[in-house]
Amino acid sequence: MSRLDRQSFLGPQSDAVLDAATIGIVGLGGGGSHIAQQTAHMGVGGYVNADPDVIEDTNTNRLIGGTLADVAVSLPKVTIAERLIRGLQPNARILSIQKDWHAAVDDLKLCDVILGAVDGFKEREQLERFARKHLIPYIDIGMDVHDLGTKGFLVSGQVILSMPGAPCMRCCGFITDERLEQEAKRYGAAGSRPQVVWSNGVLASTAVGLLTQILTPWYPNPPTFVFLDYDGNKGTIIRNQRMELLKNHVCPHHPPDETGDPLFDIRQQSFASRPTILPSGIAPWYRRMWNRLRKRPD
Amino acid sequence: MKIRFKVTSALLTTIRIDLRRPHPFAHERVGFIAAGLAAAHDELFILAREYRPVRDDEYLPDPRVGAMMSAEAIRRARQWAMDDRVAIFHVHTHGGQGIPGFSGIDIRENGKFVPNFISVAPHSVHGAIVLSDKSAFGQVWIDRTSPQPFIAKFSEVGMPLRSWSTI
Repeated sequence: MSRLDRQSFLGPQSDAVLDAATIGIVGLGGGGSHIAQQTAHMGVGGYVNADPDVIEDTNTNRLIGGTLADVAVSLPKVTIAERLIRGLQPNARILSIQKDWHAAVDDLKLCDVILGAVDGFKEREQLERFARKHLIPYIDIGMDVHDLGTKGFLVSGQVILSMPGAPCMRCCGFITDERLEQEAKRYGAAGSRPQVVWSNGVLASTAVGLLTQILTPWYPNPPTFVFLDYDGNKGTIIRNQRMELLKNHVCPHHPPDETGDPLFDIRQQSFASRPTILPSGIAPWYRRMWNRLRKRPD
Repeated sequence: MKIRFKVTSALLTTIRIDLRRPHPFAHERVGFIAAGLAAAHDELFILAREYRPVRDDEYLPDPRVGAMMSAEAIRRARQWAMDDRVAIFHVHTHGGQGIPGFSGIDIRENGKFVPNFISVAPHSVHGAIVLSDKSAFGQVWIDRTSPQPFIAKFSEVGMPLRSWSTI
């Protein structure tokens, strides 16, 4: 009996399929940390985790796996995610990139699916465009808290599956020029946006469900385009009406002729092996001693 | 260098349906796939964009082979490679379920016409793909002189995502 025995309904090959899969998680904060944890539980074997940030005190209300001790040593979010994954998948193939995802494009190109838990529409649009260019399914999650004045607050969010060839986030009306423009105007003055652990959990769990559908589906013909709305006040996650309206829609925003690198030239291209990804294992004794003296985690 | 060929399920289904259409005299149909290219580390990605069948009037009667294309069919595909700066892959199907392979005739004919694409679009790789009903197999020409490697991995991007290694 394997530790994944209770998910055997995913198919006789599901353990192998999940282990062979490599996913990209962009943004390892409130949403992405849930995704890292759940995919590790499920047995996903390969990860390209990209996030430039270190954990801060105000992240601890929602960053799964993050501790106050991590805050004390400003541990990178990707390191926390790697620790979380290794606790369940010791031999996982993990690339922890403590940089903006633009610095990880070569590694992300090798992913089977990319999951984005990023702030902002511009970032989302760029990530989706990158995924489309390389024929990689992209799953986006995001949440927001709206001030309703005397009526309190509305916690809401969305989960979108953007499959190459299917409707995109612009087709959904989720990314618009107006929103991008408003975001650009607010740039640098946004302040801290409200974020909470439970809604991130709902959205991340739904995204992991979609990921599972892509890798090892448990029922036939799941939809290739998914646009789900989360209402944290009502406690619902429902299909957006556009999901039905756009069922057979051909995306005009990412035409097939944008696939690939437009300037690619095989005569100029060099090919070099990817760095070997080995489990980090235990730090050397002098490092562990140093960490203990400095009261840092091993 | 490892070579991975990626194609959406929708495009692959379109190709399979088209290749199943009977032709007035040819025993099988053939077509061309245009693809974009990308690279990461030691991997080359061939990313299928579009399929164009060889037109009915571009087949030549030849009882020795399943399908024989005219020079015009190849000329049009070469023009496509040049105009759109794409990689061109000849495609036909052998049917069946498992990973298919090239026949002796396929190997001989591919070796004759695929290098012609390199003369007009040397910035791209070009090649040939053979399909089964569930799988695919392919070979790539990088330039006119190097050995022609086989495609190591295919990914059919859809719901579900299907990948298979061929070497």
